[in-house]
Amino acid sequence: MKPTFFALALSLCSICFGQQWMTRNGNVEFFSATFVEDIEAQNEMASGLLAADGRFAFRVPILGFRFEKALMEEHFNENYLESTQFPNGTFEGTIANWDPNFESGTWHDVIASGKLTVHGIEKNREISSKIMRDKDGWKIQSAFVIATADHEIPIPKMVRDKIAEEISVTVDLNLLPR
Amino acid sequence: MSCSNFKTYRIILLALTGMVLVQGSYVRAQSLLDELGADEPAAHPVYATFKDTRIINVQSNETPGKDVMHFVIAHRFGQINEGAYSLWGLDNASMRMALDYGLTERLSIGVGRSTFQKTFESSLKWKALEQQSDNSIPIGVTLYAVGMARGDSTFAESQVNRTFANRLSYTYQAIITRKWTEKFSLAVVPSFTHRNLVGFSSDAHDQWTLGVGARYKLAARLSLNSEYHFLIDGLPDGAQNSLSIGVDIETGGHVFQLHITNSRGMFERAFLTETNGRWLDGALFFGFNLSRVFDF
Repeated sequence: MKPTFFALALSLCSICFGQQWMTRNGNVEFFSATFVEDIEAQNEMASGLLAADGRFAFRVPILGFRFEKALMEEHFNENYLESTQFPNGTFEGTIANWDPNFESGTWHDVIASGKLTVHGIEKNREISSKIMRDKDGWKIQSAFVIATADHEIPIPKMVRDKIAEEISVTVDLNLLPR
Repeated sequence: MSCSNFKTYRIILLALTGMVLVQGSYVRAQSLLDELGADEPAAHPVYATFKDTRIINVQSNETPGKDVMHFVIAHRFGQINEGAYSLWGLDNASMRMALDYGLTERLSIGVGRSTFQKTFESSLKWKALEQQSDNSIPIGVTLYAVGMARGDSTFAESQVNRTFANRLSYTYQAIITRKWTEKFSLAVVPSFTHRNLVGFSSDAHDQWTLGVGARYKLAARLSLNSEYHFLIDGLPDGAQNSLSIGVDIETGGHVFQLHITNSRGMFERAFLTETNGRWLDGALFFGFNLSRVFDF
């Protein structure tokens, strides 16, 4: 009988984990700046999920990035991120110095520590972020850098002066009770 | 195990199954990321069916995009079987320049000018239907119309025929495409060409052709292309079906297309209805298209 009760306890547990906060329309932007050309793209289709124990997950559909120039968007998806093969960028981990009782209305500096997956390549990252409790839920803001080489995104020599090897990313999420 | 014990087991199992069903994804979830749920990616038009607005000679389904100017310089050299004396045709370059402009994401207008018969073109291209990623629309349909006017002074030397109207010809096409995989795209292109003046009175003014074009990506920025156009009503005097093979090389904002074809002319009337090189005789032409986009 013991395994049965164990399974029972486990399934109950998932309910007791308690509150979760979530968004499906988080904002992600990225910038590639070189002395020849600045490239930026926006995405408003990011999902985020925060659990009361400080665990955090994030996913952004790569095809949802919008560029100023149509050809850039096509090249981004077809040649660099290979979006059909690797449709999502994800992060999964914990907010290291998380405290569910953070004082509301002010920003708290936290570290999101976990696995960042882009272009199918997983990297352990510690990402400085800010979090704020408001009357509805939590706001999370984050700015960090992704090195294209870390995720095996090849940039041909011919376009090196147009595409930065380090891409600045900002994430802005507004998480509401699930 | 006793019978009653087995029964208890079954009841518990049943209860558990019920709970699992009720809780749905909560129990299945291995991680928080899984709990986010595999939300269906929104359907979107399939992109990059072909690299450029042309497969080789014939139009592809692609348009330049809104407020994008697409500039093409194309060269077609002389017949390869002319031999070393004319450097296998390279002495006799013929050119085509064209500008296409995207009025909307799916509609573009264009003008062109070819060395061959000093021909002017103006065209209209519309992506009527776009293939969707979820296959709700499995094919793309692009419509293309082009009017061509030959400007050569030696045209139709017999006085009777030297009217402006006789310099004109028109082609209408439906470019039906499907991107089967990331690498392989196929196009079927029925075309109708009307020539106001034909070379021989026995030639038809109207010609239907059925074309097939394909590309296969050999690498991220390199693809192998080919196209064939079949004259449905049979071959007019001296004419051949057009067959071309080439590669697309993409370098950022440029696309280079290098090819070998049995068509000398680079506009629709010429390559669809007046191709006269024979592949078997080596009566072929080397050529390249170089395209560049400018954003406004």
